[in-house]
Amino acid sequence: MTENINQEKNMLVKLQSADDLRRTMDGYFARLKDAAETHSRKIAWCTSVGPAELLYSMGFEVYFPENHGAMLGAGKNADKYIPTAVAHGYSPDICSYLTSDIGAFLQNETPLQKSGFASVPRPDILVYNTNQCREVEDWFSFYSRHFNVPMVGIHTPLCISDLTPEIVKSVSDQYHRIIPELEKVSGKKFDRDRFSETVGLSHDGCVLWKQVLEKARHIPSPINFFDSAIHMGPIVVMRGTIHAVEYYKILLKELEARIDNNISAVPAERFRVYWEGMPLWYRLSNLAKLFARLDTCIVASTYCNSWVFDDLDPADPFESSALAYSKLFIVRSDSVKENILERLLKEFTVHGIIYHESKTCARNSNNRFGLQNRLFKRTNIPYLEINGDLNDPRCYSEEQSIIAIETFVDQLAGR
Amino acid sequence: MYRLGIDLGSSYTKGVLVDENNWMAGTFCVKSGYNFNNAASKIIDHFSESHEIESPVFTCGYGREQIQVPFVPNSELIALSRAVYHIYQRACSIIDIGGQDTKFIQVNALGQVDKFKMNRKCAAGTGSFLEEIAFRLDVTPAEFTNFAKDATREVKINSFCTVFAISEIIGMIKNGATLPNIILGIYNSIILRSMEMALVEDHLVITGGLPAMHPTIVGLFKQRYPDSDSPEQAQFLAAFGCVLLNSERKSIDLIPPDPLPL
Repeated sequence: MTENINQEKNMLVKLQSADDLRRTMDGYFARLKDAAETHSRKIAWCTSVGPAELLYSMGFEVYFPENHGAMLGAGKNADKYIPTAVAHGYSPDICSYLTSDIGAFLQNETPLQKSGFASVPRPDILVYNTNQCREVEDWFSFYSRHFNVPMVGIHTPLCISDLTPEIVKSVSDQYHRIIPELEKVSGKKFDRDRFSETVGLSHDGCVLWKQVLEKARHIPSPINFFDSAIHMGPIVVMRGTIHAVEYYKILLKELEARIDNNISAVPAERFRVYWEGMPLWYRLSNLAKLFARLDTCIVASTYCNSWVFDDLDPADPFESSALAYSKLFIVRSDSVKENILERLLKEFTVHGIIYHESKTCARNSNNRFGLQNRLFKRTNIPYLEINGDLNDPRCYSEEQSIIAIETFVDQLAGR
Repeated sequence: MYRLGIDLGSSYTKGVLVDENNWMAGTFCVKSGYNFNNAASKIIDHFSESHEIESPVFTCGYGREQIQVPFVPNSELIALSRAVYHIYQRACSIIDIGGQDTKFIQVNALGQVDKFKMNRKCAAGTGSFLEEIAFRLDVTPAEFTNFAKDATREVKINSFCTVFAISEIIGMIKNGATLPNIILGIYNSIILRSMEMALVEDHLVITGGLPAMHPTIVGLFKQRYPDSDSPEQAQFLAAFGCVLLNSERKSIDLIPPDPLPL
C-alpha cells in the first residue's frame, strides 16, 4: 500500500564526503587538462575495466570514455547526441555510452568544457580490454581512425565458468604484448617495480572500495546504490593511484561514523533491494528519491561491485592483473553469476532484486537468459524487471516504471 | 454509507461503489480524458445522487493522486490481485489487459502477489493497440468482437509495432484477406503477447477493459487455457480491490488533496 508521504521523514541524507569526492575528481581532471594543454605527459584512453595500472605505471594520464559517457547521461544530454552518432551509421541499439560519446564528439561538445577543457583530451594511444564487451573496440576504433593514433587491446574470453590458468596466462601474455607499443608512445621504458607499486595501490583502493560497499551489510545501511554510483568515480578513473586510496579512507570513515551514530542512507529503511544492471544515469536522482519515499534502500549492486579487484597482487602484477580482470562478474558465465548473486543476497540481507534490462547494454542485462527465474527458484527472493537504458532516456517509460517499483515494494510488504 | 473505489486508468476511469458487506453496489465508467480530476468527479457525482459516500475515496491507476477530494492511493496490481482473490479464494494467474498496460500477476493461495510483470515499453497488445486498429479499420469494438466470430481462418499479424501492424493489415486486405480473419489474427497477436509475459501456473483470470469490451478474446484465451475465465465486471476489479484492501487496514494514511496545476 502506498504510504502517506512525509517528505521530511524520507529526505535522503547527503554524504559529507561529497566535498572530498569533488576535490578528488577535480584533481584528476586538472591533471588531465594540464597534460592535454602542456603536452608534458602522454594521454592514454582506457576502458573502464582495462589495464589502468599499466598505463599509470608508465606515466600516462588516463582518460576513460565510459566515465565521459556516464557524465553525458547524468547531465541528461545523451539524447541530444545519440541521433548524431546514429546519423553517422551507429545503430541506436548499440551501447548508448558509445553513441552519446561519439555524438557529442561529432558536435564538439563535452561537459568537460565547463571545467575549461577545449574538448575531450586528445589521446596518444587507446587501450581496451574486451572483458566487459566487444563494443569498446569499435568505440575506440572510431577515435583511433579520427586521431590517427595507435590502439592496442586485450581480448578476454567471454562467459568464463572455470577461470583456468590457461585463460589467466593468455590474458597475462597480452599484457606483456602491449608494452612495446606503450613504451614507444610514452617514450619511457617499462619499469616492473613501478608497475608492482601501481598494482599495489590499485589493490589497496579496491579493498577500501569493497569495505565501503560492505558497510551496506549493516541494517540500516549507511550508504545506498545511488550514493555508490556517484562515489565510485575515483575507483574507476584513479585506480592505481594514491588519490583513490586517500579518498576511500575518508568515505569509509564517514560510513563507520554513520553506523556508530545510527544514520542510514534511507532514513526509514524497511526494505533492502539489490540492483542488477546499469544505473539509469538520467534518472539517478529521481530514483533515489523514489526509493527513499518507499523506505527502500538499494543496498548492493552488480554495477558498483564490478570495481572490486582485490586479487591484484604487487608481488605478481601480471598474473594477478590477468586474474582480477578476468574474474569480474560481467565476463563470467550465468552459473557463476548466479552463485555470486546468491551469496550477495544473503550477505546484504536482501528482500528483493530489481533487474534493469538496459536496451543498449546486453552484457549488463542479466535477465535475458532466464537467470532471474533460476535465482528466484533458488532463493525465493522476489524480483522485478524494469526496461530502460543506461543513457538513452527514450528507452525508459518513467510512469510505468514508477508504478512497477511501487507495486514491487507493496509486494515485498505483503510477504 | 458506501465506500467508493476509483481506478483512474490511462483510457478510462472506473468507479465501484461498495456496500458494508463488501459487495459491489454499482459501477460506472467514464473516459479519463486529459483531466483525471474531472473524470473522478463524474464518478463521484454519479453515485452521490443516490448514495451517501464515505470519505476518503480509494484510488489506483495512473491518475491515482490527481484528484481533489480526500483519497488514499493504492497500487493497481495489488488492488486487482486482492479483488481477484476475494472472488476466487485460491491461487490464480491474472492477465489484465488495459488501455496502455498488459499485466501478468501470480497470486498465491494466501492471496499474496508472488510475482508480476508489466508489458515492455511498447503498448502493442494493449487496449490502445486495438483502439487504434479499430479506428483505422473504421470498426467499432462491438463490431470487432462480432466479426471475429465469423472468422474461418486466422491471419497472422507479425509486427510488434502498432503502426507497422496497421501497414501489415492494409497489405493483407489488399491481398484479399477477410476482415473477420484479420480480426481473429489481431486478437491472437494480443494473446501471444500476453502469453510471453510469464508462465500461467494456476487458474487464469482475464481482467481489464479489453476483455470486457471484446468478450470474444476471452473465448480465444479459453481455447489455449481451458482453466480460465473472466469474471463479471472484469474492468472494475482494481477499483473494487482498492476498497477491499482498505477495509482490512487498521488505520488509513490519508493524502489530503492538493491544488492541481492545470
